[in-house]
Amino acid sequence: MNKLFQEILATMGIYRSNEDKVYGVLAEFAHPGDLLRAARETHRAGYRKFDTHSPFPIHGMDRAMGLGQSKLGFIVFFGGTVVGFALGVWLQWWTGGVDYPLNISGKPFFALEPSVPIIFELTILLSALTAVAGMLALNGLPRPYNPLFYSRRFMRATDDGFFLHIAASDSRFDLEAVQAFLKGLGALHVEVIEDREEADVAPEPEPAPAA
Amino acid sequence: MADTIQKSNLLFRLIDPLRPTSDHADRAFRFTAGRISWMLPVGIGIGLLVISAVWGVTDPTQFFFSYLVGWTFSLAVTLGCLFFVLVHHLTKAHWGVVVRRIPEAVAYAFPMLLVLFIPIAFGMHDLYHWTHHELFDPSSPEYDPIIAGKAAYLNQPFFFARLLFYFLMWSIIAYRLYTLSVRQDVHPEHDIPKRQRTVSAWGLPVFAVTTAFASYDLLMSLDPHWFSTIFGVYFFAGAVFAAFAFIAFMALLLQRRGGMLKHTITKEHYHDLGKYMFGFTAFWAYIAFSQYMLIWYGGIPEETVFFRHRLEHGWEYHTTALVFLHFVVPFLILLPRASKRALPLLGVMTVWFFIMQWFDLHWLAMPVKDMLYGGHAGFHLLDFTCWLGLFSLLIAATVYRLSRHSLVPQNDPRLAESLHFENV
Repeated sequence: MNKLFQEILATMGIYRSNEDKVYGVLAEFAHPGDLLRAARETHRAGYRKFDTHSPFPIHGMDRAMGLGQSKLGFIVFFGGTVVGFALGVWLQWWTGGVDYPLNISGKPFFALEPSVPIIFELTILLSALTAVAGMLALNGLPRPYNPLFYSRRFMRATDDGFFLHIAASDSRFDLEAVQAFLKGLGALHVEVIEDREEADVAPEPEPAPAA
Repeated sequence: MADTIQKSNLLFRLIDPLRPTSDHADRAFRFTAGRISWMLPVGIGIGLLVISAVWGVTDPTQFFFSYLVGWTFSLAVTLGCLFFVLVHHLTKAHWGVVVRRIPEAVAYAFPMLLVLFIPIAFGMHDLYHWTHHELFDPSSPEYDPIIAGKAAYLNQPFFFARLLFYFLMWSIIAYRLYTLSVRQDVHPEHDIPKRQRTVSAWGLPVFAVTTAFASYDLLMSLDPHWFSTIFGVYFFAGAVFAAFAFIAFMALLLQRRGGMLKHTITKEHYHDLGKYMFGFTAFWAYIAFSQYMLIWYGGIPEETVFFRHRLEHGWEYHTTALVFLHFVVPFLILLPRASKRALPLLGVMTVWFFIMQWFDLHWLAMPVKDMLYGGHAGFHLLDFTCWLGLFSLLIAATVYRLSRHSLVPQNDPRLAESLHFENV
């Protein structure tokens, strides 16, 4: 059960560090093209628990990482659309027909015609809310604590850095081999990330290399 | 320069205003099927229309109503295709460039459709109750003050003048967009995209107003007591609904039957056409329901009469079928991403959409016939022969135009982006 839970967390990009407190290996690449190629190679080499970080979305990254189609559509349909629709029907029927029937211009207490706008709006509302909540959940967000934040270089993931991270919990993970593998892919810099489990340690950002 | 693009002779301009330019087409964009590809639908179309005409002699009223529905169907598809081209020029959309030649070729059908309108002109008295003179004569027992009050609008000279005006405007817009696009295949002048956009900019509002009024004249005036201001949008929604299905259908036909454009139109483009189809089944339902709900809420007899006719004498089954088969079922089928990318399923849905658009027009027109002449819901064989005959001619004319030019606007500056388009 715990293992299944860990697997689900891993799909959200939340990994567990190993016994040596090693969270994973972080590699920096020079530009999006390199990162795309590195992601493709990493997936081809059999690693499954890895993630990429870049300041902007990179076209084709999903396919390069071997990620399938997002499950968000199904979550939205069954968790939001169907539920919203049912809730709308129930709300209109129960308030108008059961709990507080009012005669308005001789119209039926409950009829489908005037209820459709409410049903429609609730369907849209719950679908939209489920889409946002589901997107956050599938991405493992919000995530205030991430061992990657111990890396000084990683600060630049929101600026001009392109990173690939292979997690220590991957079944093929071997510290030496992974470091060598990432160097072989042309990483500018490879760094072992340890999960120190300290709070509030914000590293000084490393100054960007002079162009 | 200009001698390579030549205009056809006058009579031929009804079908294609330009002489063939396919010699200039890139090898990948050439039409490779034989003459049979357009001669077969011409044969089927003429055959079905001859059967309809011969049969129609025995029951002219039925013939005129069936013909009106079939003709309006082809008109709706053509208008929807014109809309596609207009919007894609105005938004500078790049994904649709590879499929744009298909709606361009369809949209030039307006001159042909005007010729095919002639049988309806002979059936005005059977079709349109407001053409009866006694309704306007106060001394007549048939005098109808409501219709008499609309005499300034509902009279035959003005009706035909309006119709000619609509067709003139549509033909001009379609002609300009079609010839500019074909000209670009041969002479890639840099200002052509701008000129296409200019035509679209004034063309779109003109299209909107003329389409709405055409639907009032051709369909809404069948029941001259009743009116609905949203009717034009309703007709437009159905037209675009069928047109996107028709574009996808023609693309599938060219690829699957003709083996053309193999690597040009990809799953990504079909996916987008599927999204349009999905969107417009929902849009149609939105508009149809908006019309219905306001009438239901108001509960005024002069407005509810429209739905009363369609909820009795067997039309209630048509109404129910319309709700489920025009909206609920195709909505749920086309909702998942996978179904828009499964081409056999999408192909089935295009045919489904044609049937439902025709069924919708049939539902608009035929209850009026029952009201005027008595009768019951259902279908007459003439409904099918007229509809499919006219639709075959539309397909034939489209394939014929496609066969004479490149299948893709090959020099459009956005073509490269369109070829490599991918849904994120």
